Amino acid sequence: MPVTSTMHPAVGAAFLRRDRAGRALAADSERIALACREMALRFRRGGKLIVFGNGACGTDAAHLTAEFMHPVIVGRRTLPALALSNDCATVTGVSGREGLAEVFAHQLRRWADPADMALGISHDGRCENVLRGLETAEELGLLTVALTGGDGGTVARHGVADHLLIAASDDPAVVKEVHVTLCHLLWELVHVFFEKAGPVGEGMR
Amino acid sequence: MSTIEEPTAGTVPGLYPFPVPGRRIAAPARPDPGAALAEARRSAEEKAAEIVRLRWQVAEVAGDELAECAQEMAIRFAAGGRLFAFGNGGGSTDAQQVATAFLHPSHGLSLPALCLTSDVAVLTALSNDVGFDVVFARQLATLGRRGDIALGLSTSGGSFNVLRALEEAAHLGMLTIGLTGDQGGRMAGLGLLDYLFVIPSSSAHRVQEAQATVYHVLWELTQRALGVSPPDTD
Repeated sequence: MPVTSTMHPAVGAAFLRRDRAGRALAADSERIALACREMALRFRRGGKLIVFGNGACGTDAAHLTAEFMHPVIVGRRTLPALALSNDCATVTGVSGREGLAEVFAHQLRRWADPADMALGISHDGRCENVLRGLETAEELGLLTVALTGGDGGTVARHGVADHLLIAASDDPAVVKEVHVTLCHLLWELVHVFFEKAGPVGEGMR
Repeated sequence: MSTIEEPTAGTVPGLYPFPVPGRRIAAPARPDPGAALAEARRSAEEKAAEIVRLRWQVAEVAGDELAECAQEMAIRFAAGGRLFAFGNGGGSTDAQQVATAFLHPSHGLSLPALCLTSDVAVLTALSNDVGFDVVFARQLATLGRRGDIALGLSTSGGSFNVLRALEEAAHLGMLTIGLTGDQGGRMAGLGLLDYLFVIPSSSAHRVQEAQATVYHVLWELTQRALGVSPPDTD
């Protein structure tokens, strides 16, 4: 592999590519806040958050789960969350027998309660297994949230998400970075609603 | 559970909350729901603006060093080097992303990369038998060799297992790269890293977001140094 040296202008270009998508996120503040309000309501009713995605999005699923299960801020309560991309035995097992499209749907059918939330992450909204996971969650009565990028893909077109948040970029790396911020916002704002409401069990208005 | 619970003081180390029974905190007064929505929106807008600013700050402060670091990584890969990535918590998911970004890229060359948190058997065996501090260093001592690359992430700069691994990597003659935040913590004090990228923010969340940009840019520039241009995306 030859090593060339043409890089310095590329640094500026790389950061510039992130700027528009980063700025566009602020315009979604209402969508984000509304999703978090409903998620907080589900948590208060005893629901848990089930997160899934492929590749980079699978790492975001694990990251978001860690945020809820082990809060970074002292005094924040832990909230139940589960990532479906972590169990290699199950993921490869289901992929081998039923196919990759079923890996999340299969686990959801076993784990989901109607009070739960399903959060599917797909950088272009075109992951068949994320779509199947969200469809299955919808059938089971879960609140469905999707994080995508690009034009939202089939996840957007099929209308399988009650709350759809789209990172304004076609670059998978940039989409992932916006998703990391979105995951952090989801965690933080769920707590804003969760803690501002009355005692647990009474629900929220 | 009908009220929010807080650990009783003294039952757990004070750093993080754990779901143990304990003193009950009075529920807060019933608020105005519209106010909560407005507060949430405002918070989202502030955080979104904050990360945009922080990224440009990183570009200005570390742009040249990122280019140089990627060049060094490309030289290692071209000579047969491999990349090892490691971190804890959210940082472990970043380490996974680093590994998969290089090994299974959206475009360009597939390069050998491994995340040291992926093998739960190795991780728990080392933690149980030796201690959590050595989980990454021991793996590097066995798998790593001169000419490889070690990339460790710690938002605080104080993760002992990450620091131990970076020391081991330096000892082995690997290229050592540290990603951290705020003032750099103990990672900045190591004094043996080839490259150290400190994200200047006291928010662990913003640090992680900017770190994602740093490793993606390193990946992109490494590809470029190996002759691969990014596709035309926005």
